Amino acid sequence: MELLRADSLKKHFEVRRTFASDHRVLKAVDGVNFSIYQDRTFAMVGESGCGKSTVARLVLRLLEPTSGSVLFKGEDIFVLKGKDIKNFRKSVQIIFQDPFASLNPRRTVYDTVSEPLVIHGLTPRQKMKDAVVEIIRQVGLGPETLDRYPHEFSGGQRQRICIARALAVSPEVIVADEPLSALDVSIQAQIINLLIELKKKTKISFLFISHDLRVVQYFSDEVGVMYLGKIVEQAKTEELFEKPFHPYSEVLLASAPKIAKEEKKIERVVLKGEVPSPIHIPPGCPFHPRCPKRFAPCDKIVPELKISQGRLVSCHLWNPYE
Amino acid sequence: MIKIKETLRDLQDFYSLSFSGLLGIGRRPFYLKDALLQMDYAGAGSLLIVFIVDLFVGMALSLQLSAELSRLGLKMYIGMIVGISVVRELGPVVTALVFTGRVGAGMASELGSMALGNQVDMIRVFGFDPIKKLVTPRIVSSLIMLPALTIIGVAVSLLGGYYIAVFVSHQSGTFYWSSIRNILTIENVLAGAIKPFVFGYLIACICCYSGLSTKGGAIGLRHSTTKAVVMSIVMIIISDFLLTRLLLYVLGFSV
Repeated sequence: MELLRADSLKKHFEVRRTFASDHRVLKAVDGVNFSIYQDRTFAMVGESGCGKSTVARLVLRLLEPTSGSVLFKGEDIFVLKGKDIKNFRKSVQIIFQDPFASLNPRRTVYDTVSEPLVIHGLTPRQKMKDAVVEIIRQVGLGPETLDRYPHEFSGGQRQRICIARALAVSPEVIVADEPLSALDVSIQAQIINLLIELKKKTKISFLFISHDLRVVQYFSDEVGVMYLGKIVEQAKTEELFEKPFHPYSEVLLASAPKIAKEEKKIERVVLKGEVPSPIHIPPGCPFHPRCPKRFAPCDKIVPELKISQGRLVSCHLWNPYE
Repeated sequence: MIKIKETLRDLQDFYSLSFSGLLGIGRRPFYLKDALLQMDYAGAGSLLIVFIVDLFVGMALSLQLSAELSRLGLKMYIGMIVGISVVRELGPVVTALVFTGRVGAGMASELGSMALGNQVDMIRVFGFDPIKKLVTPRIVSSLIMLPALTIIGVAVSLLGGYYIAVFVSHQSGTFYWSSIRNILTIENVLAGAIKPFVFGYLIACICCYSGLSTKGGAIGLRHSTTKAVVMSIVMIIISDFLLTRLLLYVLGFSV
């Protein structure tokens, strides 16, 4: 069942005009479409600054879009009001990247986790402590931690508190905005295992945003590869990792570190040049200045995101221009 | 053009935050615990610094007046002039400036780091209204604590003035206090008592707005805190003049 759908979602920011420069627009997200299904994980990968986090903020209605819509169970979240918006807030939660900054240092674990229960009136006050203990148990924390403050915890434990806070209202979708990138590798494994375990138990759907492809391969069902505000390839995780179609996906996959000997060798291609500014997006295919496979139409014609061999890809190699 | 649009948008956001924050006082839910925490920080936490600053302001004023009035043979009027200056003007303004430096800067930096750390977004994701949750308790705390601190500050200033008048200028202490009692008319008290409410509201709104609109990491935080303090000080001085003009007119003083 489709829970959440982003439809031609765009978010453009006006950039302050400087001396002798024209009116400038930063296209952070430029026409993104995807769906999140029940009990499934949709991952978004891409380099820093490609618009992944802006998509997350749009999906949570923390930003208003320039155009397009986000439908949650068929209703446009940007027109919701009153009780409907409260229900939406209860259904979609987020885990932020930085567990050090996203917890209020003046609130104990009990205060932090009980807060959403109080707002949504989900638990009577006399049963609040039991409910909070139950929630933090799910993320591997004991009742002795209830009266402790965030600074008394390690990074991994803090991220567990953030996950507990997101789980408190029993959401249907969790947006995980690079939840592992601020953690040590050993802790990353613990947190990803915890998320997998929670997903199995609770059937929550995830929008998983990451630039760590190993984690995405391990955790997601479907992947959207973003480049300069657009999805350039969207496919089932195993298909994408088996054979990426778009040259950018290929390069991304080739650049991910590998340890296992038996993994098939992929020729490592190092991209030349910097990511173009989202203010000055190159004409034609936005990836063409760095693309190792570019050819005649790439610098003139913008490729459309179309189905090719059962997956969505935006490249002239796979969708020849007619 | 974009800069004008941005400025207008900022002003619109500021007015919206100021009104919503104030109207939030009468709307459920009431975040009493948050308001009490803010009042503790703003009131009890600022007491010592207000005490020291106002004491020395009162002493300096009394000393200056003593030096000037002794040349005219009018030293007995020290109490009256210190009283009027402190009650109507210096007490509220100096206390508000101290409040800005300590509490306003604290509000802007705290909210700024919350905004940078996504804590404000988290509040919205939970379904809270961030203005009701973060701004209203700070407005309440400023509206209660700045007038309270001003009363204490005025009393301390008058005490400082008394010390100089009696022990340095060798004036009669009884006469000093009777002069003070004489100037504590309803007009004078009102002229000074209305100001801290306006100043408190302005400080809370400017500092909260500045903090919540923080962008751009540590540099952005520095910028928003500086902006909050500078804007608050400028607005206190301007609004003090406007209020003085208005109150003198309303309360029937001839100028």
